[in-house]
Amino acid sequence: MPEGTLCNKKPIETEEALKTLLGDTGGKTYYEEMKSLDVDSELLWKTIQNTLKSRMKTWLEICAHCGMCADSCFLYLINDRDPKQVPAYKIQSTLGEIVKRQGKVDNDFMHMAMETAWAKCTCCNRCGMYCPHGIDIGIMFGYLRGLLYQQGFVPWELKIGAGMHRVYRAQMDVTDEDFVETFEWMVEEYEEDYPGLEVPVDMEGADIMYTVNAREVKHYPEDLAEAAILFHLAGESWTVPSSGWEQTSLAMFAGDWAACKMQVESVYAAMERLKPKRMVGTECGHAHRATVIEGPYWAGRSNGKPPAESIHYVEWLAEALREGKLRVDPAKRIKRPVTLQDSCNYIRNHGLKEITREIMSYIVEPGYFMDMAPNREHNYCCGGGGGFNGIGLFRPQRNKALITKRDQILNSGADLVIAPCHNCWDAIRDLEEEYKIGIEWSFLKPLLISMVEIPEHLQIKE
Amino acid sequence: MFKKILFATSATEASDHAARVAFNMALNYKAHISIFHVMGVPTRGFSQVVLDVKTREEVVLDDEYVAWVEEEVKTYYAKQLETAENFDIKVAIGFPHREILREARQSRPDLIVLGGSTGEPEESVYKRGMVGSTLQRVAKAAPCPVLVVNRPAASFWGGMSNIVFGTDFSKASDAAFEFACKFAKALGCEMHIFHALDISTMHMGRMLTQDEIETRIRESLRRIRGKYISKIKGEIQDYAFDVWEGVPYVEVVKYAREKHADLIVMAHHNRKTSEEDNRLGSNIEQVIVRAGCPVISVNKQVRN
Repeated sequence: MPEGTLCNKKPIETEEALKTLLGDTGGKTYYEEMKSLDVDSELLWKTIQNTLKSRMKTWLEICAHCGMCADSCFLYLINDRDPKQVPAYKIQSTLGEIVKRQGKVDNDFMHMAMETAWAKCTCCNRCGMYCPHGIDIGIMFGYLRGLLYQQGFVPWELKIGAGMHRVYRAQMDVTDEDFVETFEWMVEEYEEDYPGLEVPVDMEGADIMYTVNAREVKHYPEDLAEAAILFHLAGESWTVPSSGWEQTSLAMFAGDWAACKMQVESVYAAMERLKPKRMVGTECGHAHRATVIEGPYWAGRSNGKPPAESIHYVEWLAEALREGKLRVDPAKRIKRPVTLQDSCNYIRNHGLKEITREIMSYIVEPGYFMDMAPNREHNYCCGGGGGFNGIGLFRPQRNKALITKRDQILNSGADLVIAPCHNCWDAIRDLEEEYKIGIEWSFLKPLLISMVEIPEHLQIKE
Repeated sequence: MFKKILFATSATEASDHAARVAFNMALNYKAHISIFHVMGVPTRGFSQVVLDVKTREEVVLDDEYVAWVEEEVKTYYAKQLETAENFDIKVAIGFPHREILREARQSRPDLIVLGGSTGEPEESVYKRGMVGSTLQRVAKAAPCPVLVVNRPAASFWGGMSNIVFGTDFSKASDAAFEFACKFAKALGCEMHIFHALDISTMHMGRMLTQDEIETRIRESLRRIRGKYISKIKGEIQDYAFDVWEGVPYVEVVKYAREKHADLIVMAHHNRKTSEEDNRLGSNIEQVIVRAGCPVISVNKQVRN
């Protein structure tokens, strides 16, 4: 059973292994080794018997192959209606086939399944809404990814990403010390502009425990400062945990179920330790899905909920604006054509569609908001969801996938896209780089900072 | 005065004038110079794929590539490094302003020397998706003075001997003044204290009469005497001061030219980095763009 030194069935457990894998530029050796990686059919079939429960068995059985899901899939549409891009075909020809053959599949098959699972489905779950039987193919693809990961057939970047979570409990090499240090640094940088600004670390019993995306810490820590400033201006009692601060989960994209569990458990442990009234996560879609929606099940929580009530940043922001904790200066509202990216992970999958539009009603001058079509729970994936953004091997497919969003934005007539999701934000930036349509894109935080009124007692005293 | 200089460079022509100043200062003041180059902006994932700032291509990072870039930087400055005694070269990945500030926070330099602008925001890899220039962002938050050279510093060959300190009497200007004094004393410079009376903007919606202008000039001169001259008497031998009316940045540049200044020191207290401010620029940014000599921006009390 040839197992590669880099491409194998073992997860990344140590910093050293992580560095070794990272050192393999672009995963060249990794993918080369994958070509001769054996499939452990026995393990595959045993895993399926243990984990493929009645819901998915039923879904695979009852699919009538009616093709209603075809037109719902943006990847089918953008790839010239290739029959091989019909969601039902995609899952039946991969997971369905593995089950039918009781795990007896070969290396070529696994390569095909890997490409299908990561380059032909972003787990946006849109098709599930159009299926007359309510079959959610995105969920099944998430499951398939788990099987593929276990066998070592996972894109290089995601093997690393899952390893990051295992080693650092974060999606990047950001340690707990780095996190606290960076947050404090940011507050130092802005405290002159906002007297009294601080970052309370590990404060017990706060109203809000804030969790983030490691990218913010690593590359744009201004985002941390902006979060602190808005909590400060809103007069919130808030804190960040010194560990368990990472809300995202590349492990979820990778299908590394064990790492998924480790990651959310670190966040839940922080909740148990600090006992906040609520947890608020940053402007990230999959992080919300991982920590708030799916995480409780990974962690085996019987009530299906995190230890503390957990809400998305947009929910907190809408509430703060609604209740007047934050007040927008009407003169500073957005007065240019602006549109909104609905993140699949908390719009379609968690019903927050009206919340984001409520925010728009506060921050955009009436008449300037242009919705994309379709929108809300019918909106298309940004084109880079489910890990697609990060995989070099499937970059050409990803770039093609961005065309759907590009045209939606162009048709909306807006030149500013608000994307309260890291993944969507990245995809929209990439589509501007790739296709140059002359748009700008933004998270909510910087926009809010530019327009909120500063309460008198928090203003700079001359 | 300067033991550690952080020279942040794009390692392109845009930074050549700054390089000359940075290496000269390091040589003259026996300072350690750290050549810091932000080689690329991460595009996705965990920073393995970056947009190389020089080739503008997406590259997959590995140790080899980083070593290659380091070598490139070394080659680019080969001539200057022949005489440099105490230096190191560092390359980083990220958004330039953030990485420069991160490096400054760690290494605590006495001075940051910034290379010139790498071009229009839409063309420059560095500025993609970010509001405000690297300069604005670094100058705003730097823990030490920031020296910028935008135009050929023709006069700068033999050290600095003639400083213009431009003031608007703000608190931030106090910090800049303190630095300018320290600098002038340490290097035995002539010091020119200058204030420009701003008549470019409307005063309560009307033009000022000449009498009003002259009254204000007299007031400002009195302020300079009270606020600054009293502090440098006996400490700095050669000093002069003046107040001119006009558009502040134009007057500062004119004054510096007339005094053959080889350095301008001003406070940076423009807290905004919005696009409009970027285009029009605050006074100091305009001075930086226009001055024929290096400009040092100081934003807070300098740590000793």
